[in-house]
Amino acid sequence: MTAQPIVSLENVTKTYGTTAALADATFDLMPGEIHALVGENGAGKSTLCKLIAGVIAPSEGILKIDGQTVLFSSPKDASGHGISMVYQETSLVPQLTVAQNIFLGREQMFNSVRRVRSAARQVLQRLNFKVDPAQLAGTLSAAKRQMVEIARAVHNQARVIILDEPTAALTPEETDHLFDLMKSLQRNGVAIIFISHALEEALSYADRISVLRNGRMMTTGPAADFNRGTLIHHMIGDELIEQEKVPAARRPPRSALPVLRVENIRMGSIVNNMSFSIFPGEITGLAGLIGSGRSEVAKVIMGHTKRNFGGGRIWLDGREVRYGLPAQAVADGIAYISEDRKLDGFFDTLSVAENIGLGWLAKFGGRRFLAPRAKMRTLAREWVDRLSIRSIGVERPVLYLSGGNQQKVVIAKSLIQKPKLVIFDEPTRGVDVGAIAEIRQIIRSFADSGAGVILISSYLPEILETCDRILVAKSGTIAAEFSRAEASAASILNAAIH
Amino acid sequence: MTETVFGNLLGSREAGMLERVVLVVTFALVVLFSLFIDGFATAGNLLVILSNSTSLVMLSCGMAVVIISRGLDLSLIAQMVSGATIFSILVTNGSPAAFALLVAVAAMVLVGFVNAFLIAYVGIPAMLATLASAMCITGLFRFAILRGEFILLLPKSNPAVLFLSGNILPGVTVPVALMIATLLATWALLSYSTAGRIIYAMGDNYQAARLTGLPVRTTTVVVYVFAAVTALLAGLVTSAASGAVDFRTVSNGTLLFDVILVVVLGGIPLRGGRGGLKNILVGAALIAILRNGMTLMNFTTQMQDALRGLVLILAIVIDNYLNPRDTETDTVGDL
Repeated sequence: MTAQPIVSLENVTKTYGTTAALADATFDLMPGEIHALVGENGAGKSTLCKLIAGVIAPSEGILKIDGQTVLFSSPKDASGHGISMVYQETSLVPQLTVAQNIFLGREQMFNSVRRVRSAARQVLQRLNFKVDPAQLAGTLSAAKRQMVEIARAVHNQARVIILDEPTAALTPEETDHLFDLMKSLQRNGVAIIFISHALEEALSYADRISVLRNGRMMTTGPAADFNRGTLIHHMIGDELIEQEKVPAARRPPRSALPVLRVENIRMGSIVNNMSFSIFPGEITGLAGLIGSGRSEVAKVIMGHTKRNFGGGRIWLDGREVRYGLPAQAVADGIAYISEDRKLDGFFDTLSVAENIGLGWLAKFGGRRFLAPRAKMRTLAREWVDRLSIRSIGVERPVLYLSGGNQQKVVIAKSLIQKPKLVIFDEPTRGVDVGAIAEIRQIIRSFADSGAGVILISSYLPEILETCDRILVAKSGTIAAEFSRAEASAASILNAAIH
Repeated sequence: MTETVFGNLLGSREAGMLERVVLVVTFALVVLFSLFIDGFATAGNLLVILSNSTSLVMLSCGMAVVIISRGLDLSLIAQMVSGATIFSILVTNGSPAAFALLVAVAAMVLVGFVNAFLIAYVGIPAMLATLASAMCITGLFRFAILRGEFILLLPKSNPAVLFLSGNILPGVTVPVALMIATLLATWALLSYSTAGRIIYAMGDNYQAARLTGLPVRTTTVVVYVFAAVTALLAGLVTSAASGAVDFRTVSNGTLLFDVILVVVLGGIPLRGGRGGLKNILVGAALIAILRNGMTLMNFTTQMQDALRGLVLILAIVIDNYLNPRDTETDTVGDL
């Protein structure tokens, strides 16, 4: 591998607002190599790939192809240089046939259906894919959709193929087939980058591995130089390993009865036989990768998601429940605080007082005709003081508040309902540093008041610092459970990845 | 993220701007029409404008409430004529007016409930559900009651008709009194009632309202039933004034058009969550004056339609410019 790299990034930074998704990263891809990218959620793996594929442009730094500096303004530019990316969520057009999808963007003025199909069949056969070119892309399984995307990349004479978590949706046999294919593409001189959470795959199939953490490139080296332990070490860093033993808070003895118990919850292909119990007075962390079914199980419990419910039982305070609407769950004392407050958390044009007051109205409003506006406002002000929400005025729209204060409004809107169980989904995402500590304190004192708390978080330090007990979700099931004393970043991550 | 936040900031600040622009345009039209149209600025004509716009204002109240809750009701005019038909037939056949009114209200409550059921429980988009129910209602009434006719003529001598077109107080006609009552009811609903709080919350962010545990389905029922009742009142007033129930009002679409015009020009964004009584009044003032001026200038109905279309396009363009769409509204779908 003395040749010059086919793709190289030199000190590339990509910032969104004030946060850097990728900071000062340097990366080389050699012709004909298989290069694995590993890292936690949000480490910057997808950002790096999207920069190479021309989906996003770097804020700083240089991207070189074959030693030439390039500036991609769209994926089409990248594809002109022979770079193709296969996304986790596939980019096929579901209403078109497999053949049409393979030729997408390269159609001539007039297309003979038969010629396109036979050309597509040739491509598919050469790759040893058993896919019918006449089938509609929308009717294919996840594995076959991926094959078609790869076929499209091969047809476009890609020299670099980027695969974003290609094995996440595949069965073991399909995975083997995929890696065989990657090897044969490699023999034809194609360079491949693949993102993976399955460390064994990276270790056994990649030539080189790069580890990212918090947007920084931690290390790059031949796969043979790493093992599972060293990879995890690079992924989480020394500091975390040092500081993982936070002094445990003095906990009252756990009450014997769980406030919530779920058994064998299934939903679509995302939640797969999940079972756990939540005890009052305790913060139970729900760790796991994105897509492991954490938020989905919360939404099933709330009655927010009904479609694809595949069975399972839920008990609240020993009584079996099954909610068809969030309003029923709220009436019984469950609240869910969304991971995306702008999407389904707060009412952006309504005032701070109105937002908090609506939470009260939802639970205690009853059927009276006139809204008790004075009471709603007084209660809202009380909660503004209690959670020290800082705003220029409680009559101002929530939109004008900082992220942390917006999040506190959403929390107040739920806590005003006096729930016995609250599910916090990523409560400190997009929140300023000062407010993070305050929000964790709010969660802690709420649990101390005797309520049950589920804390869903992708951020391991948050889980380690805040939770009394930690459940780790993987592929829709609970893969491991740790007490506060046993848990460490390494053990949680080890349980969460494949 | 920062871009949409900034866009919304502009949107909410400038939302008040559309209604201010419309208010200025209305005043300008009043001045222009007074100068150039004979007989516009007379006390008699002002009364004509007022009495001609009562049903428009009532319908706009219903539509505004629906749109603020991020819905849409295309069956308003169908409800209006079918409600008036029920009332008229019963009265003509000798039922007491109070009984006829009760039956008509019950029927409209049922129609509003069916609309809301299709939208909130079955999950059909509001535009399709109400379009379908509009077709069903008009078809059914013309087939079963009018025997294929377009028009149901009312005897002028009918006491109920006489009452509806008469005065309730010296100088205050019954239609004007009903219009004021509808405006007051809308004001109470939007500003003081529990349902009103939820209507704004649903319009602002339907998923958040649902997850907070607000009774979004029940409130949808309240919204569409309210709209159906305003449509009935508008139907009674119109039929009494014209001496007929005319089903062509449904099929030519002009009235529905005017109602949407009033709401949009008044500055109520189609994606909901904002707006109130003053927006309805501002929008209605412009449309009422425009209609009156065009009639006084002897514009043909075709010319009037062309102008209306132009005004609606212009208003929606301005509305989109002042309330930029973002990915959030795109996924929910505001129409």
